[in-house]
Amino acid sequence: MAEVQYSGVRESRPGRINDLGTTGKEAEEQFRKGCLKRADRSFAQGLQCQQINSMAALMSLEDSVFISHSPQGCVGCAIMAVDMYRVGQIHRGIKHVKNPRLFVTNIDQKSVVFGGEQKLRDTVKKAVDRYHPKLAFIYASCASGIIGDDIDAITSDLQTEYPDTTLIPIHCEGFKSKICASGFDAAFISINKYILKKEIIPKEKGLVNLFAPTTVSYADQKEMERMLNQLGVQVNYIPFYSSLEKIKRIPAAEASTSICKVFADEFMKTLWEDYQIPYSHTVMPIGIRNTDKWYRGIAKVLGKEKEVEEIIAKEHERIEPLVAVLRERLRGTRVFICGGTGRSFAAAALIDDFGMELVGLETPTYDEDAQVDIEYLNGIHKDYVVDIANMQPFEQVNLVNKLKPDAFIGVPEWAAKLGVPTTHVLDGKRPTMGYDGLLFLGNKIADQLQNPGFNKKLAKHVKLPYKDSWYEEDAFKYIQK
Amino acid sequence: MSQIMENPKGGCVLAGINSVLGAIDRVCPIYHSGPGCCMQTTAADQGQSGHKSSCFVSSVSMPSSNMLEKEVVFGGTDKLRTTIQGAVDIIDADAYFVLTGCTAGIIGDDIVSVTDGFQKKGHQVYPIETPGFAGDSNLGYEVVWNTLIDQVIENDVPKDEKLVNIFGIVPYHDPFWSGTLEEIDRILSRLGLKVNTFFTKHQGMETIRKSSGAALNIIVNPWLFQGPAKKFERKFGVPSIRIAGLFTGATDTTKFVRAVGEALGLEQKLVESVIDSEEDYVYKYLGQAIGVVSWKRFAVVADANNAVGFTRYLANDFSFTPVLVIVSEPIFREEDKERIIAEIQDLEYAAPPRVLFLTDQYEINQAIRNEEKEITLLVGSSNEREIALEKDIQFILGAFPMNERLVFNRTYAGYRGSLTFTEDIYDNN
Repeated sequence: MAEVQYSGVRESRPGRINDLGTTGKEAEEQFRKGCLKRADRSFAQGLQCQQINSMAALMSLEDSVFISHSPQGCVGCAIMAVDMYRVGQIHRGIKHVKNPRLFVTNIDQKSVVFGGEQKLRDTVKKAVDRYHPKLAFIYASCASGIIGDDIDAITSDLQTEYPDTTLIPIHCEGFKSKICASGFDAAFISINKYILKKEIIPKEKGLVNLFAPTTVSYADQKEMERMLNQLGVQVNYIPFYSSLEKIKRIPAAEASTSICKVFADEFMKTLWEDYQIPYSHTVMPIGIRNTDKWYRGIAKVLGKEKEVEEIIAKEHERIEPLVAVLRERLRGTRVFICGGTGRSFAAAALIDDFGMELVGLETPTYDEDAQVDIEYLNGIHKDYVVDIANMQPFEQVNLVNKLKPDAFIGVPEWAAKLGVPTTHVLDGKRPTMGYDGLLFLGNKIADQLQNPGFNKKLAKHVKLPYKDSWYEEDAFKYIQK
Repeated sequence: MSQIMENPKGGCVLAGINSVLGAIDRVCPIYHSGPGCCMQTTAADQGQSGHKSSCFVSSVSMPSSNMLEKEVVFGGTDKLRTTIQGAVDIIDADAYFVLTGCTAGIIGDDIVSVTDGFQKKGHQVYPIETPGFAGDSNLGYEVVWNTLIDQVIENDVPKDEKLVNIFGIVPYHDPFWSGTLEEIDRILSRLGLKVNTFFTKHQGMETIRKSSGAALNIIVNPWLFQGPAKKFERKFGVPSIRIAGLFTGATDTTKFVRAVGEALGLEQKLVESVIDSEEDYVYKYLGQAIGVVSWKRFAVVADANNAVGFTRYLANDFSFTPVLVIVSEPIFREEDKERIIAEIQDLEYAAPPRVLFLTDQYEINQAIRNEEKEITLLVGSSNEREIALEKDIQFILGAFPMNERLVFNRTYAGYRGSLTFTEDIYDNN
């Protein structure tokens, strides 16, 4: 009998937890013993919902419309993807910058009582009449889910009316998961079900699927493509800035890899199961160690281990003198890191390239993958705090205030108000990845950390919203087992 | 009542409520909602308004019950209770407002009984029972003021005949709200008035509580705040005047100053001397760049308030030719539409432009695309840049949503704002 199909909800994978306050050593040990249990916070701040990720992942696709079956507020975060789409077009030399075709059905009081089916039908009609798209993505929401609108049935019914547009419902109801990356999985599950349909197509020799989320800059895309081209392969860059044609080529690929750890990782498993495409799932290619690891990972799948070593040696020759300079500037800097799953661990590896010391790490989930990274970090850093949290700035500022790091890597908003020098490894508009990206990123980090005047002055004038007493409390006070 | 929309401008009512609360000093919204609502609603309004968002709490720093399947099935009031408790324990706010997302609204969680418990213990925790699906973000402004009138503003505050309340400038829904309120404050202060803007100068809950002591409510908006104004007058005896559109430039700002002077019975000599000096300030600059800004036939796409202000300034004060004005926020009452049309079309010398009420981006684009008369300047939001590029029209980003500008205290309103507006229109191409 076939395995139970993955639901797209990340919590459904055994051993994965979202709420934990601990240290690197303890996390490793407890996970090994199977003692990490699912918990919750009795007090928490807002999260990112999975619908945001489902939408962002696809909103740069050509010839597509995006329909949110929700009230108007649920397309709020779409602005981030809209902005990336617009700026991405400018970076790619497009003069007539377009908006993505984003629709909201605007579920209202009437829909809550009588159902929102008619609104969805009308919206699909409008979208198809206006743009004759090849693809129409239909996103569920908390509201549509709770009132019980069956978007699968409605879509399948409507598909006969609009044969030239592939209608794709996506089950990304916010209340289903605390882990926003679930939204990526929901999107890929639907792409497989409604576009690829397990159909086997002829293989294209030397074609590699490179999965990229919306936060990857064009500079980074070019660097990733340059690196893969050096291995003598062609890149199918998806789904960011791609098209139905490129999606349809996915099963033709010889191998797959992803730029982000939690993007398409589950989908690559599915591609192996359904289309026998081998894949590499390693780390985000940020910093020397991680870029090497990422590069070797995909090279191994392609049987190019020897070639990649030669290229890496050459790249190191070019990069290492610069890294040596940066190491001199940054050695011994005590760092607190906060980020998404991919970026947080990438940043942790990066600081090792620069001889910096980890004092705190905030990352959204702990699981098998995290354990691999933590084992590696424990080999380098003696003592550091681990906060398994999706942001939760109240815990972050409590920890940063106690640990007094020399630098903070992550969303700067809160640490900056404590006067701590801040920098970031996330920039969807400028380089951060690969060997070329490291040149820009390394200089940015060193320069920002050595010139913290803005934060220091800001902290004298702007206070965080927390009571003084909070900084004396245990940061993990509200995590209940 | 909500319509299907392409590229909507702004979020749900929750986004509007959050924007207004976020603009009040030291106020903490608490979300009883699904896990993404804090971030979504902040991104929908604050996040598209010139990249300035509430300094106190916003987005993922706002407390939230993050309702998951368990709460959807079994109810979420226990989770809400511990969330509020945590908020009052660690966040140093002057007041907390509990907001309901769609999830809480649909399953029918009784939030008032929870907030009552906290109020009994002496905490300033107020419920706002308006779930996201109840409407769009504009409605949020009125929902917040109705809540404040019902639950916060005190009765029996001694009257201060020099005190005025400013309403109608919606934080974040107007990206220039800070600068606009500062300009209004500056002008009215010259008349010897004390000005409650509520959202600048660190004014906060205490200012709101005592706002019933004002001599006059000044509503700067052609349609919003009708209900709350009536309620305010009935409950606290404060009368209102409505300025039916945000004033940009000397002509309309002077009209505004005279209207306020008249309503409060201010000494005419004082009023006219302020007007003289302000107009002199503006024309001293305009006189230094005559013929520098080339003539335009223009279109405007904006909220009603700014659509009125931009059109009237460009037509009446700058002698540009108005062609098409699109009011891009949902307006439902016929009399409101008539008032807005009258303001836009009743011009001094220029022929009146066509006025359309459209919220859907495709319809907005089509109206501009199919306009028979040539347009050489378009003042609009980030959403209109596409059609401006397509038609090769000079584009000024002047309305919400505004993504390609950082806005702190910039405004196009009032005497001084009109100079900034004119500076931005200058084009050397």
